[in-house]
Amino acid sequence: MGELDGRVACVTGGTRGIGRAIAEALLREGASVVINGRSEEKGTVALEEMDAGEKAHFISADVKSREGCEAIVSGTVEKYGKIDILVANAGGASNHAPVAELTDEAMEDSLVWNFWHTFWTMRSALGHMIPQGWGRIIAVSSVEGKVGKPGLAIYVSAKHAINGLVKSSAHEVGTLGITVNAVCPGLIETDIVKEVLPLAAESMGLESYEAALDLFAQESAIKRLNEVEDVAEVCLLLTSEAGAGITGSLISIDGGTAPY
Amino acid sequence: MGKLDGKVACITGGTRSIGRAMAEAFVSEGAKVVVNGRNEEKGQKCLEEMGAGDAVSFFAGDSSKQSVVEGLIDFTVSTFGQLDICCLNSGGVQMTAPVAQMSDEEWALEVDWNLNHVFWGMRKALQHMIPRESGRVLVTSSVEGKLGKPGLPGYAATKHAVNGLVKAAAHEVGTLGITVNSILPGLIETDIVRETGPDSAVAMGLGTYETLIEVFSSESAIKRPNKVEEVAAVALLLASDAGRNITGSTFPVDGGTMPY
Repeated sequence: MGELDGRVACVTGGTRGIGRAIAEALLREGASVVINGRSEEKGTVALEEMDAGEKAHFISADVKSREGCEAIVSGTVEKYGKIDILVANAGGASNHAPVAELTDEAMEDSLVWNFWHTFWTMRSALGHMIPQGWGRIIAVSSVEGKVGKPGLAIYVSAKHAINGLVKSSAHEVGTLGITVNAVCPGLIETDIVKEVLPLAAESMGLESYEAALDLFAQESAIKRLNEVEDVAEVCLLLTSEAGAGITGSLISIDGGTAPY
Repeated sequence: MGKLDGKVACITGGTRSIGRAMAEAFVSEGAKVVVNGRNEEKGQKCLEEMGAGDAVSFFAGDSSKQSVVEGLIDFTVSTFGQLDICCLNSGGVQMTAPVAQMSDEEWALEVDWNLNHVFWGMRKALQHMIPRESGRVLVTSSVEGKLGKPGLPGYAATKHAVNGLVKAAAHEVGTLGITVNSILPGLIETDIVRETGPDSAVAMGLGTYETLIEVFSSESAIKRPNKVEEVAAVALLLASDAGRNITGSTFPVDGGTMPY
Protein backbone atom coordinates (compact mmCIF):
# COMPACT_ATOMS: atom_id res chain seq x y z
CA MET A 1 0.00 0.00 0.00
CA GLY A 2 1.54 3.25 -1.11
CA GLU A 3 0.57 6.70 0.10
CA LEU A 4 -0.18 7.69 -3.51
CA ASP A 5 -2.00 4.60 -4.79
CA GLY A 6 -4.40 5.65 -7.53
CA ARG A 7 -2.89 9.11 -7.93
CA VAL A 8 -1.65 10.49 -11.25
CA ALA A 9 1.35 12.78 -11.35
CA CYS A 10 3.14 14.77 -14.00
CA VAL A 11 6.71 16.02 -13.66
CA THR A 12 8.16 18.49 -16.16
CA GLY A 13 11.84 17.99 -16.80
CA GLY A 14 11.48 14.55 -15.32
CA THR A 15 14.02 12.47 -17.20
CA ARG A 16 17.04 13.50 -15.17
CA GLY A 17 18.17 15.26 -12.04
CA ILE A 18 15.69 16.51 -9.47
CA GLY A 19 12.62 15.72 -11.58
CA ARG A 20 13.72 12.15 -12.09
CA ALA A 21 14.23 11.66 -8.34
CA ILE A 22 10.78 13.09 -7.67
CA ALA A 23 9.24 10.85 -10.34
CA GLU A 24 10.85 7.76 -8.82
CA ALA A 25 9.68 8.70 -5.33
CA LEU A 26 6.11 9.21 -6.55
CA LEU A 27 6.21 5.85 -8.36
CA ARG A 28 7.49 4.16 -5.23
CA GLU A 29 4.42 5.40 -3.34
CA GLY A 30 2.08 3.99 -5.97
CA ALA A 31 1.34 6.92 -8.29
CA SER A 32 1.27 6.71 -12.08
CA VAL A 33 3.78 9.23 -13.35
CA VAL A 34 4.26 11.15 -16.57
CA ILE A 35 7.73 12.49 -17.08
CA ASN A 36 8.49 15.16 -19.62
CA GLY A 37 11.58 16.21 -21.46
CA ARG A 38 12.63 17.60 -24.80
CA SER A 39 14.59 14.64 -26.06
CA GLU A 40 12.66 11.55 -27.12
CA GLU A 41 15.85 9.55 -26.74
CA LYS A 42 16.49 10.62 -23.13
CA GLY A 43 12.84 9.92 -22.39
CA THR A 44 13.15 6.37 -23.67
CA VAL A 45 16.29 5.80 -21.64
CA ALA A 46 14.65 7.21 -18.51
CA LEU A 47 11.60 4.95 -18.89
CA GLU A 48 13.86 1.93 -19.37
CA GLU A 49 15.91 2.80 -16.29
CA MET A 50 12.84 3.49 -14.16
CA ASP A 51 11.40 0.14 -15.23
CA ALA A 52 7.87 0.91 -14.05
CA GLY A 53 6.00 -0.53 -17.02
CA GLU A 54 2.58 1.01 -17.58
CA LYS A 55 2.91 3.15 -14.46
CA ALA A 56 5.32 5.54 -16.16
CA HIS A 57 4.92 7.41 -19.41
CA PHE A 58 7.04 9.94 -21.30
CA ILE A 59 5.75 13.02 -23.08
CA SER A 60 8.17 14.82 -25.32
CA ALA A 61 7.50 18.55 -25.27
CA ASP A 62 9.35 21.82 -24.87
CA VAL A 63 8.27 23.66 -21.73
CA LYS A 64 9.38 26.91 -23.33
CA SER A 65 6.10 27.08 -25.25
CA ARG A 66 2.52 27.31 -24.06
CA GLU A 67 1.53 24.58 -26.49
CA GLY A 68 4.22 22.32 -25.04
CA CYS A 69 3.13 22.95 -21.46
CA GLU A 70 -0.52 22.41 -22.22
CA ALA A 71 0.29 19.26 -24.17
CA ILE A 72 2.09 17.83 -21.11
CA VAL A 73 -0.93 18.33 -18.87
CA SER A 74 -3.53 17.23 -21.43
CA GLY A 75 -1.34 14.28 -22.40
CA THR A 76 -1.25 13.20 -18.75
CA VAL A 77 -5.03 13.29 -18.54
CA GLU A 78 -5.29 11.46 -21.86
CA LYS A 79 -2.95 8.71 -20.71
CA TYR A 80 -4.15 8.16 -17.14
CA GLY A 81 -7.59 9.79 -17.06
CA LYS A 82 -6.79 12.68 -14.69
CA ILE A 83 -4.04 14.72 -13.06
CA ASP A 84 -3.70 14.85 -9.27
CA ILE A 85 -0.14 16.05 -8.86
CA LEU A 86 1.78 18.55 -10.96
CA VAL A 87 5.47 19.09 -10.34
CA ALA A 88 6.64 22.06 -12.39
CA ASN A 89 10.27 21.17 -12.16
CA ALA A 90 11.95 22.04 -15.45
CA GLY A 91 14.06 25.14 -15.46
CA GLY A 92 17.45 26.70 -15.61
CA ALA A 93 19.08 29.66 -17.26
CA SER A 94 21.71 30.26 -19.86
CA ASN A 95 23.40 33.43 -21.12
CA HIS A 96 23.88 34.83 -17.64
CA ALA A 97 25.35 38.31 -17.32
CA PRO A 98 25.33 41.16 -14.83
CA VAL A 99 22.20 43.29 -15.23
CA ALA A 100 24.02 46.16 -16.92
CA GLU A 101 25.06 43.82 -19.71
CA LEU A 102 21.99 41.59 -19.89
CA THR A 103 20.24 41.05 -23.19
CA ASP A 104 16.48 41.06 -23.52
CA GLU A 105 16.73 37.60 -24.99
CA ALA A 106 18.51 36.15 -21.97
CA MET A 107 15.94 37.57 -19.55
CA GLU A 108 13.04 36.47 -21.71
CA ASP A 109 14.41 32.96 -22.13
CA SER A 110 14.81 32.49 -18.39
CA LEU A 111 11.34 33.86 -17.62
CA VAL A 112 9.76 31.58 -20.21
CA TRP A 113 11.72 28.52 -19.13
CA ASN A 114 11.16 28.93 -15.40
CA PHE A 115 8.24 31.25 -14.75
CA TRP A 116 5.94 31.04 -17.79
CA HIS A 117 6.33 27.27 -17.87
CA THR A 118 5.22 27.11 -14.23
CA PHE A 119 2.28 29.40 -14.94
CA TRP A 120 1.21 27.56 -18.09
CA THR A 121 1.32 24.11 -16.52
CA MET A 122 -0.27 25.34 -13.28
CA ARG A 123 -3.16 27.06 -15.06
CA SER A 124 -3.75 24.03 -17.19
CA ALA A 125 -3.57 21.60 -14.24
CA LEU A 126 -5.88 23.73 -12.07
CA GLY A 127 -8.47 23.44 -14.83
CA HIS A 128 -8.57 19.72 -14.06
CA MET A 129 -7.97 19.86 -10.30
CA ILE A 130 -10.63 22.41 -9.37
CA PRO A 131 -13.56 20.32 -10.66
CA GLN A 132 -12.22 17.15 -9.01
CA GLY A 133 -11.64 18.90 -5.68
CA TRP A 134 -8.18 17.44 -5.05
CA GLY A 135 -4.77 18.44 -6.23
CA ARG A 136 -1.16 19.04 -5.34
CA ILE A 137 0.97 21.51 -7.25
CA ILE A 138 4.66 21.80 -6.49
CA ALA A 139 6.87 24.34 -8.20
CA VAL A 140 10.56 23.56 -8.01
CA SER A 141 11.91 26.97 -7.17
CA SER A 142 15.34 27.57 -5.65
CA VAL A 143 17.22 29.13 -2.80
CA GLU A 144 17.63 31.86 -5.41
CA GLY A 145 13.88 32.39 -5.15
CA LYS A 146 14.52 33.86 -1.70
CA VAL A 147 17.94 35.47 -2.01
CA GLY A 148 19.88 37.04 -4.85
CA LYS A 149 23.37 36.56 -6.21
CA PRO A 150 25.26 38.95 -8.46
CA GLY A 151 25.36 37.80 -12.05
CA LEU A 152 22.34 35.52 -11.77
CA ALA A 153 19.56 38.10 -12.14
CA ILE A 154 17.70 36.24 -14.85
CA TYR A 155 17.41 33.12 -12.72
CA VAL A 156 16.84 34.92 -9.42
CA SER A 157 14.08 37.06 -10.92
CA ALA A 158 12.28 34.10 -12.45
CA LYS A 159 12.43 32.02 -9.25
CA HIS A 160 11.20 34.92 -7.10
CA ALA A 161 8.31 35.33 -9.54
CA ILE A 162 7.43 31.65 -9.20
CA ASN A 163 7.24 32.06 -5.42
CA GLY A 164 4.77 34.93 -5.81
CA LEU A 165 2.64 32.89 -8.19
CA VAL A 166 2.59 30.04 -5.70
CA LYS A 167 1.42 32.24 -2.82
CA SER A 168 -1.41 33.84 -4.78
CA SER A 169 -2.73 30.65 -6.30
CA ALA A 170 -2.55 28.83 -2.95
CA HIS A 171 -5.03 31.32 -1.52
CA GLU A 172 -7.28 31.03 -4.57
CA VAL A 173 -7.75 27.28 -4.25
CA GLY A 174 -7.08 26.77 -0.52
CA THR A 175 -10.58 25.55 0.30
CA LEU A 176 -10.85 23.30 -2.75
CA GLY A 177 -8.61 20.47 -1.58
CA ILE A 178 -5.73 21.77 -3.63
CA THR A 179 -2.38 22.85 -2.26
CA VAL A 180 0.23 24.90 -4.10
CA ASN A 181 3.77 25.04 -2.75
CA ALA A 182 7.29 25.86 -3.84
CA VAL A 183 10.32 23.86 -2.83
CA CYS A 184 13.50 25.91 -2.70
CA PRO A 185 16.56 23.66 -2.99
CA GLY A 186 20.10 24.80 -2.51
CA LEU A 187 22.50 24.07 -5.32
CA ILE A 188 22.46 20.44 -6.47
CA GLU A 189 24.97 19.16 -8.97
CA THR A 190 22.47 17.94 -11.56
CA ASP A 191 23.16 17.46 -15.27
CA ILE A 192 21.62 20.82 -16.06
CA VAL A 193 23.81 22.54 -13.47
CA LYS A 194 26.87 20.92 -14.98
CA GLU A 195 25.79 22.32 -18.32
CA VAL A 196 24.87 25.88 -17.35
CA LEU A 197 26.86 26.67 -14.21
CA PRO A 198 30.23 27.17 -15.91
CA LEU A 199 28.88 30.19 -17.77
CA ALA A 200 27.00 31.37 -14.69
CA ALA A 201 30.26 31.22 -12.72
CA GLU A 202 31.85 33.54 -15.24
CA SER A 203 28.93 35.97 -14.97
CA MET A 204 29.26 35.84 -11.18
CA GLY A 205 32.91 36.87 -11.45
CA LEU A 206 34.18 33.50 -10.24
CA GLU A 207 37.18 31.81 -11.75
CA SER A 208 35.71 28.36 -12.26
CA TYR A 209 32.76 26.00 -12.04
CA GLU A 210 34.32 24.50 -8.92
CA ALA A 211 34.52 27.94 -7.31
CA ALA A 212 30.79 28.38 -7.90
CA LEU A 213 30.01 25.01 -6.30
CA ASP A 214 32.19 25.94 -3.36
CA LEU A 215 30.55 29.35 -2.95
CA PHE A 216 27.10 27.79 -2.69
CA ALA A 217 28.31 25.10 -0.29
CA GLN A 218 30.07 27.60 1.95
CA GLU A 219 26.94 29.71 2.36
CA SER A 220 25.07 26.75 3.85
CA ALA A 221 25.33 25.42 7.38
CA ILE A 222 26.17 21.94 6.11
CA LYS A 223 29.01 23.19 3.87
CA ARG A 224 28.07 20.80 1.11
CA LEU A 225 25.62 20.76 -1.76
CA ASN A 226 22.13 19.34 -1.54
CA GLU A 227 21.05 16.09 -3.17
CA VAL A 228 18.12 15.27 -5.43
CA GLU A 229 16.69 12.86 -2.86
CA ASP A 230 16.32 15.72 -0.35
CA VAL A 231 13.85 17.38 -2.69
CA ALA A 232 12.04 14.16 -3.59
CA GLU A 233 11.32 13.38 0.06
CA VAL A 234 9.78 16.80 0.69
CA CYS A 235 7.66 16.37 -2.44
CA LEU A 236 6.35 13.08 -1.04
CA LEU A 237 5.37 14.85 2.17
CA LEU A 238 3.59 17.62 0.27
CA THR A 239 1.69 15.20 -1.96
CA SER A 240 0.57 12.97 0.93
CA GLU A 241 -2.67 13.39 2.89
CA ALA A 242 -0.70 14.93 5.76
CA GLY A 243 0.42 17.58 3.29
CA ALA A 244 -3.15 18.91 3.07
CA GLY A 245 -2.40 21.50 5.74
CA ILE A 246 0.69 22.90 4.03
CA THR A 247 0.09 25.37 1.22
CA GLY A 248 1.45 28.65 -0.09
CA SER A 249 4.76 27.79 1.49
CA LEU A 250 8.28 28.17 0.17
CA ILE A 251 10.07 25.24 1.70
CA SER A 252 13.80 25.59 2.11
CA ILE A 253 15.83 22.49 1.28
CA ASP A 254 19.13 24.25 1.33
CA GLY A 255 21.19 23.08 4.30
CA GLY A 256 20.50 26.32 6.12
CA THR A 257 21.34 28.85 3.41
CA ALA A 258 18.25 31.04 3.03
CA PRO A 259 17.68 33.42 5.94
CA TYR A 260 13.91 32.86 6.00
CA MET B 1 12.18 -1.60 8.38
CA GLY B 2 11.25 1.71 9.96
CA LYS B 3 12.73 5.07 9.05
CA LEU B 4 13.87 5.53 12.66
CA ASP B 5 14.98 2.03 13.61
CA GLY B 6 17.54 2.23 16.41
CA LYS B 7 16.89 5.91 17.08
CA VAL B 8 15.99 7.41 20.44
CA ALA B 9 13.82 10.49 20.82
CA CYS B 10 12.56 12.65 23.65
CA ILE B 11 9.61 15.02 23.39
CA THR B 12 8.62 17.76 25.82
CA GLY B 13 4.87 18.00 26.15
CA GLY B 14 4.57 14.61 24.53
CA THR B 15 1.57 13.07 26.24
CA ARG B 16 -1.09 14.86 24.22
CA SER B 17 -1.78 16.70 20.97
CA ILE B 18 1.19 17.70 18.76
CA GLY B 19 3.87 16.03 20.88
CA ARG B 20 1.81 12.87 21.16
CA ALA B 21 1.32 12.75 17.38
CA MET B 22 5.08 13.07 16.97
CA ALA B 23 5.65 10.29 19.50
CA GLU B 24 3.26 7.99 17.66
CA ALA B 25 4.83 8.78 14.28
CA PHE B 26 8.32 8.10 15.64
CA VAL B 27 7.34 4.85 17.37
CA SER B 28 5.59 3.59 14.25
CA GLU B 29 8.89 4.07 12.42
CA GLY B 30 10.87 2.09 14.96
CA ALA B 31 12.16 4.72 17.39
CA LYS B 32 12.20 4.50 21.15
CA VAL B 33 10.63 7.58 22.70
CA VAL B 34 10.48 9.32 26.06
CA VAL B 35 7.46 11.56 26.41
CA ASN B 36 7.32 14.28 29.02
CA GLY B 37 4.41 16.01 30.69
CA ARG B 38 3.53 17.66 33.98
CA ASN B 39 0.87 15.22 35.01
CA GLU B 40 1.82 11.69 36.09
CA GLU B 41 -1.72 10.43 35.49
CA LYS B 42 -1.85 11.74 31.93
CA GLY B 43 1.56 10.25 31.35
CA GLN B 44 0.44 6.78 32.39
CA LYS B 45 -2.72 7.13 30.30
CA CYS B 46 -0.59 8.13 27.31
CA LEU B 47 1.59 5.04 27.72
CA GLU B 48 -1.49 2.83 27.94
CA GLU B 49 -3.13 4.39 24.91
CA MET B 50 0.01 4.16 22.81
CA GLY B 51 0.40 0.49 23.71
CA ALA B 52 3.99 0.44 22.53
CA GLY B 53 5.42 -1.45 25.50
CA ASP B 54 9.07 -0.83 26.27
CA ALA B 55 9.48 1.44 23.27
CA VAL B 56 7.90 4.35 25.13
CA SER B 57 8.70 5.78 28.53
CA PHE B 58 7.29 8.72 30.48
CA PHE B 59 9.21 11.42 32.35
CA ALA B 60 7.10 13.60 34.62
CA GLY B 61 7.81 17.27 35.11
CA ASP B 62 7.12 20.86 34.14
CA SER B 63 9.18 21.65 31.05
CA SER B 64 9.36 25.33 31.96
CA LYS B 65 11.85 24.28 34.67
CA GLN B 66 15.51 23.88 33.78
CA SER B 67 15.95 20.86 36.04
CA VAL B 68 13.08 19.09 34.32
CA VAL B 69 14.24 19.76 30.75
CA GLU B 70 17.79 18.70 31.55
CA GLY B 71 16.47 15.81 33.61
CA LEU B 72 14.43 14.59 30.66
CA ILE B 73 17.52 14.41 28.50
CA ASP B 74 19.55 12.62 31.17
CA PHE B 75 16.66 10.21 31.73
CA THR B 76 16.40 9.50 28.00
CA VAL B 77 20.10 8.71 27.74
CA SER B 78 20.07 6.55 30.86
CA THR B 79 16.91 4.70 29.80
CA PHE B 80 17.66 4.10 26.14
CA GLY B 81 21.42 4.65 26.00
CA GLN B 82 21.56 7.63 23.66
CA LEU B 83 19.69 10.64 22.29
CA ASP B 84 19.20 11.05 18.55
CA ILE B 85 16.12 13.25 18.27
CA CYS B 86 15.20 16.01 20.70
CA CYS B 87 11.77 17.57 20.21
CA LEU B 88 11.30 20.74 22.23
CA ASN B 89 7.62 20.92 21.72
CA SER B 90 5.78 22.11 24.78
CA GLY B 91 4.72 25.71 25.12
CA GLY B 92 1.85 28.12 25.31
CA VAL B 93 0.44 30.91 27.41
CA GLN B 94 -1.51 31.02 30.68
CA MET B 95 -3.15 34.44 31.14
CA THR B 96 -1.87 36.43 28.20
CA ALA B 97 -2.59 40.16 27.92
CA PRO B 98 -1.73 43.14 25.74
CA VAL B 99 1.73 44.55 26.52
CA ALA B 100 0.34 47.45 28.55
CA GLN B 101 -1.42 45.04 30.88
CA MET B 102 1.06 42.14 30.81
CA SER B 103 2.08 40.95 34.27
CA ASP B 104 5.70 40.18 35.12
CA GLU B 105 4.62 36.72 36.23
CA GLU B 106 2.96 35.84 32.93
CA TRP B 107 5.88 37.27 30.97
CA ALA B 108 8.38 35.22 32.97
CA LEU B 109 6.28 32.09 32.59
CA GLU B 110 6.05 32.46 28.81
CA VAL B 111 9.78 33.17 28.48
CA ASP B 112 10.65 30.13 30.59
CA TRP B 113 8.14 27.87 28.92
CA ASN B 114 8.57 28.84 25.28
CA LEU B 115 12.13 30.15 25.04
CA ASN B 116 14.31 29.10 27.98
CA HIS B 117 12.97 25.55 27.87
CA VAL B 118 14.09 25.34 24.26
CA PHE B 119 17.53 26.75 25.06
CA TRP B 120 18.07 24.46 28.05
CA GLY B 121 16.95 21.42 26.10
CA MET B 122 18.90 22.28 22.96
CA ARG B 123 22.13 22.97 24.85
CA LYS B 124 21.96 19.72 26.76
CA ALA B 125 20.91 17.73 23.69
CA LEU B 126 23.75 19.14 21.61
CA GLN B 127 26.24 18.16 24.31
CA HIS B 128 25.18 14.56 23.69
CA MET B 129 24.92 14.89 19.92
CA ILE B 130 28.15 16.74 19.09
CA PRO B 131 30.54 13.97 20.25
CA ARG B 132 28.49 11.41 18.29
CA GLU B 133 28.31 13.70 15.23
CA SER B 134 24.68 12.82 14.74
CA GLY B 135 21.40 14.28 15.84
CA ARG B 136 18.18 16.11 15.17
CA VAL B 137 16.80 18.99 17.20
CA LEU B 138 13.20 19.94 16.41
CA VAL B 139 11.56 22.95 17.95
CA THR B 140 7.81 23.44 17.78
CA SER B 141 7.55 27.13 17.05
CA SER B 142 4.39 28.69 15.63
CA VAL B 143 2.96 30.81 12.89
CA GLU B 144 3.32 33.50 15.58
CA GLY B 145 7.08 32.99 15.22
CA LYS B 146 6.84 35.04 12.05
CA LEU B 147 3.75 37.14 12.72
CA GLY B 148 2.39 38.99 15.71
CA LYS B 149 -1.15 39.18 16.98
CA PRO B 150 -2.47 41.75 19.45
CA GLY B 151 -2.88 40.24 22.88
CA LEU B 152 -0.20 37.58 22.35
CA PRO B 153 2.99 39.61 22.82
CA GLY B 154 4.86 37.08 24.93
CA TYR B 155 3.97 34.19 22.67
CA ALA B 156 4.93 36.07 19.51
CA ALA B 157 8.17 37.31 21.07
CA THR B 158 9.29 33.92 22.38
CA LYS B 159 8.33 32.06 19.20
CA HIS B 160 10.28 34.60 17.14
CA ALA B 161 13.17 34.11 19.53
CA VAL B 162 13.32 30.34 19.17
CA ASN B 163 13.46 30.73 15.39
CA GLY B 164 16.59 32.86 15.81
CA LEU B 165 18.07 30.34 18.20
CA VAL B 166 17.42 27.55 15.70
CA LYS B 167 19.11 29.40 12.85
CA ALA B 168 22.22 30.23 14.86
CA ALA B 169 22.56 26.72 16.28
CA ALA B 170 22.03 25.15 12.85
CA HIS B 171 25.08 26.98 11.55
CA GLU B 172 27.14 25.99 14.59
CA VAL B 173 26.63 22.26 14.11
CA GLY B 174 25.91 22.08 10.38
CA THR B 175 28.96 20.03 9.51
CA LEU B 176 28.59 17.65 12.44
CA GLY B 177 25.70 15.58 11.13
CA ILE B 178 23.26 17.47 13.32
CA THR B 179 20.30 19.43 12.03
CA VAL B 180 18.33 22.02 13.97
CA ASN B 181 14.95 23.10 12.65
CA SER B 182 11.77 24.69 13.83
CA ILE B 183 8.28 23.77 12.70
CA LEU B 184 5.72 26.56 12.51
CA PRO B 185 2.18 25.25 12.81
CA GLY B 186 -0.86 27.39 12.34
CA LEU B 187 -3.45 27.21 15.09
CA ILE B 188 -4.31 23.67 16.08
CA GLU B 189 -7.11 22.82 18.46
CA THR B 190 -4.90 21.03 20.94
CA ASP B 191 -5.80 20.38 24.56
CA ILE B 192 -3.69 23.31 25.69
CA VAL B 193 -5.40 25.63 23.20
CA ARG B 194 -8.80 24.47 24.40
CA GLU B 195 -7.72 25.12 27.99
CA THR B 196 -6.21 28.56 27.56
CA GLY B 197 -7.92 29.71 24.34
CA PRO B 198 -10.96 31.29 26.03
CA ASP B 199 -8.76 33.58 28.16
CA SER B 200 -6.51 34.34 25.20
CA ALA B 201 -9.53 35.27 23.10
CA VAL B 202 -10.52 37.86 25.67
CA ALA B 203 -6.97 39.29 25.84
CA MET B 204 -6.94 39.50 22.05
CA GLY B 205 -10.19 41.41 22.03
CA LEU B 206 -11.96 38.58 20.21
CA GLY B 207 -14.47 37.70 22.89
CA THR B 208 -14.97 34.00 22.46
CA TYR B 209 -12.89 30.90 21.81
CA GLU B 210 -14.92 30.23 18.66
CA THR B 211 -14.03 33.66 17.28
CA LEU B 212 -10.37 32.99 18.02
CA ILE B 213 -10.48 29.77 16.01
CA GLU B 214 -12.29 31.55 13.21
CA VAL B 215 -9.81 34.45 13.04
CA PHE B 216 -6.83 32.13 12.73
CA SER B 217 -8.64 29.96 10.17
CA SER B 218 -9.71 32.92 8.08
CA GLU B 219 -6.10 34.11 7.74
CA SER B 220 -5.07 30.83 6.14
CA ALA B 221 -5.68 29.73 2.59
CA ILE B 222 -7.35 26.52 3.75
CA LYS B 223 -9.76 28.36 6.09
CA ARG B 224 -9.42 25.76 8.82
CA PRO B 225 -7.08 25.08 11.72
CA ASN B 226 -4.19 22.69 11.13
CA LYS B 227 -4.02 19.13 12.47
CA VAL B 228 -1.50 17.45 14.72
CA GLU B 229 -0.87 14.74 12.10
CA GLU B 230 0.28 17.41 9.64
CA VAL B 231 2.96 18.55 12.10
CA ALA B 232 3.95 14.98 12.94
CA ALA B 233 4.53 14.18 9.26
CA VAL B 234 6.95 17.10 8.96
CA ALA B 235 8.67 16.11 12.21
CA LEU B 236 9.14 12.59 10.88
CA LEU B 237 10.68 13.87 7.66
CA LEU B 238 13.08 16.15 9.51
CA ALA B 239 13.96 13.43 12.04
CA SER B 240 14.66 10.78 9.42
CA ASP B 241 17.67 10.31 7.19
CA ALA B 242 15.69 12.01 4.41
CA GLY B 243 15.97 15.26 6.37
CA ARG B 244 19.75 15.23 6.68
CA ASN B 245 20.25 18.22 4.39
CA ILE B 246 17.48 20.41 5.76
CA THR B 247 18.61 22.58 8.63
CA GLY B 248 18.11 26.06 10.02
CA SER B 249 14.69 26.09 8.43
CA THR B 250 11.45 27.46 9.80
CA PHE B 251 9.20 24.84 8.29
CA PRO B 252 5.64 26.06 7.74
CA VAL B 253 2.59 23.90 8.51
CA ASP B 254 0.08 26.72 8.48
CA GLY B 255 -2.26 26.30 5.52
CA GLY B 256 -0.77 29.33 3.80
CA THR B 257 -1.00 31.88 6.61
CA MET B 258 2.52 33.25 6.80
CA PRO B 259 3.68 35.62 4.08
CA TYR B 260 7.23 34.23 4.06
